[in-house]
Amino acid sequence: MEAVNIQFAPETGSEEEWNEAYARLADYFRSYQLHNRIRRTQLILETLRRAAVAHKADPTRTPTAHSIEQARLMMREWLAAIYSDMNLSESQLEAAGRLGFHLSGGPARWPNFFLDKNNLPEDMREAMRAAIRTSGPSMSISKMTPRDIDLGIVSDVAEDTFDRLGRHPILRYSILIGIVGGVLGYLYFLLA
Amino acid sequence: MSVIGSQTANINASAGMPPPRIARMRRATFFAFVGLGTIVGTWLMFTYLAEQGMRKAEWLLLATFLPLYYQLNVGFWTAIFGMWLMNRPKPDPLNLWRTLKPEDHEAEITASTAIIMPVFNEDVTRVFEGLRSIYLSLEQTGHSKNFDIFILSDSNQTSQWIEEETAWLELCRQLNAFGRIFYRKRRKPINRKSGNVSDFCRRWGKRYRYMIVLDADSLMSGGLLTSMTRIMEKNPGIGILQTFPKQIGAETLLGRVMQFAQSLYGPPFMDGLDYWQGGEANFWGHNAIIRLEPFIKYCALPPLPGKEPFGGHILSHDFVEAALMRKAGYAVRLLPTNRGSYEEGPPTLVDMLKRDRRWCQGNMQHFWLLFAKGWHFMSRINFAHGILSYVSSLLWLLFLVLSTFLAATPVEQSSPQAMLAMRILLGLTAMLIFLPKFAILLDEMITGRLHKPLKGRLLTFVSSLADTVIFTLMAPVLMVFHSQFVVYTILGKGVRWVTQRRRLDGRVDWAEVFFNLWPVTAIGLVWAVIAWMVSHSLLLWISPILCALILAIPMGILISGKRSGQRLGLFLTPEETEPPGVLATMNSSLAEIKGRIHLPAELEKHHGLLQVCLDPYVNGLHVSLLRRRKSINVSRTYLDQIADRLVRQGPNALTPQEMKAMIHDTEIMTDVHYRLWSARESDLAPFWATAIRQYNLAASNPFTHTLAQSPDLPAPFSSGAD
Repeated sequence: MEAVNIQFAPETGSEEEWNEAYARLADYFRSYQLHNRIRRTQLILETLRRAAVAHKADPTRTPTAHSIEQARLMMREWLAAIYSDMNLSESQLEAAGRLGFHLSGGPARWPNFFLDKNNLPEDMREAMRAAIRTSGPSMSISKMTPRDIDLGIVSDVAEDTFDRLGRHPILRYSILIGIVGGVLGYLYFLLA
Repeated sequence: MSVIGSQTANINASAGMPPPRIARMRRATFFAFVGLGTIVGTWLMFTYLAEQGMRKAEWLLLATFLPLYYQLNVGFWTAIFGMWLMNRPKPDPLNLWRTLKPEDHEAEITASTAIIMPVFNEDVTRVFEGLRSIYLSLEQTGHSKNFDIFILSDSNQTSQWIEEETAWLELCRQLNAFGRIFYRKRRKPINRKSGNVSDFCRRWGKRYRYMIVLDADSLMSGGLLTSMTRIMEKNPGIGILQTFPKQIGAETLLGRVMQFAQSLYGPPFMDGLDYWQGGEANFWGHNAIIRLEPFIKYCALPPLPGKEPFGGHILSHDFVEAALMRKAGYAVRLLPTNRGSYEEGPPTLVDMLKRDRRWCQGNMQHFWLLFAKGWHFMSRINFAHGILSYVSSLLWLLFLVLSTFLAATPVEQSSPQAMLAMRILLGLTAMLIFLPKFAILLDEMITGRLHKPLKGRLLTFVSSLADTVIFTLMAPVLMVFHSQFVVYTILGKGVRWVTQRRRLDGRVDWAEVFFNLWPVTAIGLVWAVIAWMVSHSLLLWISPILCALILAIPMGILISGKRSGQRLGLFLTPEETEPPGVLATMNSSLAEIKGRIHLPAELEKHHGLLQVCLDPYVNGLHVSLLRRRKSINVSRTYLDQIADRLVRQGPNALTPQEMKAMIHDTEIMTDVHYRLWSARESDLAPFWATAIRQYNLAASNPFTHTLAQSPDLPAPFSSGAD
């Protein structure tokens, strides 16, 4: 592990802005499950230094935005070194690479080599590459075509009736009212 | 009939289909008893009614009585034949367990089997912890290498979807099961569950000889899963083999009563069904194994004529698939099982009614298929029984209404023959209702199949009396609701596809019970007044039914609550007293998760979304899984606007459609991740500002939010399964 150099003196941006960038980067690297605080501090300071240079060139964006962008660039460079020969597009590289680091147990096994493109242990490299080669079973396409069921004459008649009733709700409810009315009328007749 | 595989090569291709002679003999015996019982009952009723000549209303009453009495007889004789099978000295020659010899249980399983679990916005923890238990139980058998597990998701809620993805990944990581457990999410949930299963069959069906279908609340032991595959291998004539899923995990009184009743009375009924259904049994949609080749070839479901609810997509697909499989020449069999196959039931009365509403519509749709050409006769009987199980409620209601009005216009009943007929009919009916329960209870008292200790048997006796009271109170309420469902279906009121509630979180929702049940109480009160005016003796006769209707609300609250009698030792099942391994594993995992500290409610509500946007690994997982699909053509500007609103205003600012568009796009999902982390705190919605501050504190491992931390987690994953 290299020594932690805490010197950081940005030429642009306010102290408050850089403090916010620092806090955001701290949260961001923690979300990678890097529990080694010294390594996290190293990464934060390195990213902030790169962000300070970028902010000087383009002060319209906030130090926080520059910091996360620099972290993203560092990630891309690091993953490109690991997956150099796997022909992944840039967005594939980012998503699959982050996942590969998690699946290979990277945060616990190689926290000190995270984003260190000049120092790639062979076992980490191989584990991360193996992790993204995992995929589901290859498809084996079958045809599953419904066969018509001959519903017979009763269903034909019923279908026509229901279809007609379905298209004419007034008719449907009239029939219902007729039936209910008929039953009630008949009962009245019985009671009378 | 083609047969695949080495183990089945030398076996009779129709093995598993009961010999026609035995099947005919059994069916003839069964239906002779049912027919005789129905005819005797109807004749007694006719004798009673026809004393002064039959009026039209009396003919109507007799017409409603006949199918009701037939149904009573079917239930009665099924239980009686089941009891006989359970207690006969020689085992049933058609019992499929007999096809396995002791050495078969140790033989290598060469058949590839897919265990599939279709899910739709289900409790992620329950789904994946259930699968963990199944997987571990399967591993313990030592014969699991040809089994693959598929989670087939149709979930349409963003957070649910992401949580499923993370739970799947973590489960695979913990169990080192990459290449064994797969997750597939459909973009468009066409044709609901049956469409989900068909989609699996089209994509991967050819790779597997068998498919075991599970529900989201299913649980099956490895021993039973391997045995089912072995039985299918030995019996190539079987297309579908259905197990008897016992209910587990109930916490409410209703759930535990149903669980107990199913445990006590279920096995004889299952044996009885197996007796007369033979090779034309039903498929219940889950906890069953299916021979995939004929299923793919013959069991695709066509839409029914007309529109939903009566026509359109087939809701209760399982019955139809069973009929299609039988039509193709394969047997559909029941496998009598006492242990190893489990499911969960609805926790409250309202949940039960919601489920019944769906089932009612599904069964009513089968009306179209009753008269279709080419079915085996027994498939028609199965459809008819399904329809009758709901229509009978309407018939019962009509019977009671007609009885009320006939009581208002009484004719003098003086003939001793008519009075005798009535008394015999009452006695017979009481016997049909109560004798099976009594006989099964007596059998339990003698044999102690559920509980060996005497105390357990006595408690079973008391529980059985109590469940009779509860079911008696519930029956009239169900009658009113089922009648309503039948009428609604006929009138064209369909049901929506919604997620079932499987557990009661917190207390009973009194308002929900009140608003659903007050009409039942009102019907009971009005009916009581009418009966009082018509005839006091009628009121006395139907008072048990009227009391149940009037007391519907307190009864609904009581049985939906968590005072379930467990502390008193009531309604105990063997799964509660001695949980099988697969259940014990799941219960201990669920208990571990239950004790965790959760995020604030707002963050917890959108936890999946929060993770996919903030967490670099979850985001990577989601985007990686999306990459395998074709992207939808949605305007970049539109997606940018959505993403901007999400960041500045929070998740509640997005409509479900906007959320769906965003969550399906790989680029915008990667972009949102960086946008959120890059934004100044003052530019973030309060939701995100809080989430960023709290996320790392709460998530020690983002993938175990919904999953138990495995105590014996294998070494970090490094596998290259294809």
